[in-house]
Amino acid sequence: MKSKSFFKSNPIFTIFGILGIIIILIAIFAPVITGGVDPTKGNLSDAIMPPSAEHIFGTDKMGRDIFARVIYGARESLVATFLLVAVIFVVGSLLGILAGYFGGAFDAVIMRLADMMMAFPGLVLAIAVAGIMGKGTFNAILAISLVSWPKYARLARSLTMKIRHTDYVAAATVTGSKTGHMLAKYMLPNALPTLVITAATDVGTMMMELSALSFLGFGAMPPTPEWGYMLSEGRNFIQYAPWMMIFPGLAIFITVVVFNMLGDSLRDILDSKSK
Amino acid sequence: MKKRLSLLLAGVMAISLLAGCGESGNGGSSASKADNKTLKFGCTLFANGSLDPSMETNTAWHCMRAGISESLFKFDDNMVAQPWLAESCDVSADHLTWTIKLKKDVKFSNGTPMTATKVKESLDWVREQGKKDPKREKGATAKKYLEYDAEVTANDAENTIVIKTKTAYLDIKGNLAQPVMAIINVSETKDFDHGIIATGPYALKEFKDNVGMDLVANTNYWDGKVPFENVQVIFMQDAAAKANALKSGQVDVVENISNAADIKTIQDDSNFTVDVAPGVRTGFAYMNFKGVLANKELRKAILTAIDIESICKSKTIGGLYTAGRAILPTSLKYGSEDINKNDPYKYNVEEAKKILDAAGIKDTDNDGFRELNGKNIELNYVSYESRLLNDFSDAHIQYLKEVGIKVVAKYGSSDDQWTKLTTGEYDLNNNNWNTVPTGDPEAFLANWYSKAEGNYCGYSNAEYDKLYEAFMKEMDITKRGDYVKQMQQILVDDAVMIVDGYYNSSMAYSKNVKGVHINPIDFYWITNKIEPAK
Repeated sequence: MKSKSFFKSNPIFTIFGILGIIIILIAIFAPVITGGVDPTKGNLSDAIMPPSAEHIFGTDKMGRDIFARVIYGARESLVATFLLVAVIFVVGSLLGILAGYFGGAFDAVIMRLADMMMAFPGLVLAIAVAGIMGKGTFNAILAISLVSWPKYARLARSLTMKIRHTDYVAAATVTGSKTGHMLAKYMLPNALPTLVITAATDVGTMMMELSALSFLGFGAMPPTPEWGYMLSEGRNFIQYAPWMMIFPGLAIFITVVVFNMLGDSLRDILDSKSK
Repeated sequence: MKKRLSLLLAGVMAISLLAGCGESGNGGSSASKADNKTLKFGCTLFANGSLDPSMETNTAWHCMRAGISESLFKFDDNMVAQPWLAESCDVSADHLTWTIKLKKDVKFSNGTPMTATKVKESLDWVREQGKKDPKREKGATAKKYLEYDAEVTANDAENTIVIKTKTAYLDIKGNLAQPVMAIINVSETKDFDHGIIATGPYALKEFKDNVGMDLVANTNYWDGKVPFENVQVIFMQDAAAKANALKSGQVDVVENISNAADIKTIQDDSNFTVDVAPGVRTGFAYMNFKGVLANKELRKAILTAIDIESICKSKTIGGLYTAGRAILPTSLKYGSEDINKNDPYKYNVEEAKKILDAAGIKDTDNDGFRELNGKNIELNYVSYESRLLNDFSDAHIQYLKEVGIKVVAKYGSSDDQWTKLTTGEYDLNNNNWNTVPTGDPEAFLANWYSKAEGNYCGYSNAEYDKLYEAFMKEMDITKRGDYVKQMQQILVDDAVMIVDGYYNSSMAYSKNVKGVHINPIDFYWITNKIEPAK
């Protein structure tokens, strides 16, 4: 009964939550939805065909079915994005909490490193990193991780420092709590809600950054069905065969909006102050 | 709530922006009025930062294509080298002494007359530069066209130069027609990167890195009127950008719109003309013999698994390439048509699989890809975005997947592709090369001669080497042709490379200008023949 009223009182969260789950289900059940069409298989003689009954989104320049590629693209994009967010969330939070808790030289080193990373414009540095390490989805994730973790580190640090010198923390220390216990029982739970909200709202942004890297040719390599890369492939044909850009573009747009709204509504629920 | 509203608004704006783009596509062509004093030319930038002909092939080409430098001879539309700065050329019976008479009254852009001594200085300088700097030697390839031991003597009174060589050249005119061998005012040029003084109709005013070049008319030009006071060269790397720039009136002429869709829209538009030359360029992917592709059965299966006809006929490639199996284009008469007719690797998926199975290249671990000697085959395909090469590579990868050969795309810049070719970090490496740079396939066919520096794929065949050596010594045109035919056949029999197709060069221009012409060899873009239409 209680759960029912929760969804009722948070309609926006419920709607976008459902949409988000649908997107994830689409990714999981891609082979079923596309009816077994291979997104990397095509025939050059069917290249660049407009949407029709046979290919409802048309075909791309290798004669591949764009519908299948867009659906399978959800796998690539979602997995890469969630992986990226997970990496920066874990690494950033951990370093931030440690820096905030221990302070001193450890704090200084980590935070100066973070400042350094933040001094660069994110995507440009990511391009440079991807350029040096070579292209590919994995390297793109690594590149964006390198420039995105400081946000979480700074947040986690400031949240930790807020309670670091409160009386109950001092009391816990005096009563002999070990460092691990202190971090896990006091520091982490205190910082977690805010960090989770940040991560949720970051999903959309990170998806855009990954797509941008792929679009510029630093991310996914052919024949991977990845939305950003599909946009880049269709770019030359924007006037002649606009369907090559419209459908992957729409896919990115819808997914980013859904996850952004979901993150927003999650914040409204978890963080009562900003309501 | 506010944030949600703004998000929605942003979405609506993004959509309307896209819609706006669609509409502004046409209708731009009348927007710009021709300024009869400035020619605006859009082209690809192949080498940045310099126009020094001695630096590397691409800088030399830029210099000549921009109408800044000229050479002693020039290729006509039939790939025959005709006198340009030279008046005539005589050769001794042993093909070791060449007497070249120079045109009278040719002046450099700074007003200095082009004397025989000046020509000698230039020809010596470009080879000296190569000798001094091994890096240049590799890039500029001056010695490929005129050996370091060749002796050039000048006779100013008679306005002739005499070139004495140690090895016999079939026809030195083609070699001296190279952009690398352009005649430069060496003693008065101070800045070889951006201040080359040469004899062309235009001279460089400013080189803007990655952006373009500003040229001014050479007031001392020797060969008639220079129609424009200024030329604005704008670098554009992609075909759609070239087509759009032409349509919007940003440029008057663009070279090689290498995208089927875009060239189609230009051809269909009566406001523009497209000049196409049957090419002397071949698109082909090197197979690296130092890797797993040393296996001949694997190579044969690869060729059989790829449908070269369908690729070239697809909408993706359009009419920009003509399919073929022989390495030399059919526009040159070296028996390519016969070779293509008797293609031993006609597209046949089942046949390709049979070849692989018979050679023991099978998928034993059921991952969908075959193994050779128990090791997974994973070919690295190096390619770059020029003249549809990435599209060919994509198509090859797709076809090879069908027969269970795994190929990984490693696409990058043109520099990247070249570096990997020379260092051997590839299995397949896609290129589009001029096959007759000197009017003759000698230099090109050296790429598979085992003793040549430019043998980047490690191919070695004693019979080919023997034929190549005999071909090098042969001075009779018909016999040379026979050798080339035989060499071509060996390369096909050994399944040495994947031929993408024969490339057609093109130049597209608006009604603002006339006299635009693309030459098969693609050395000459901006000439004084391009003039205002009115």
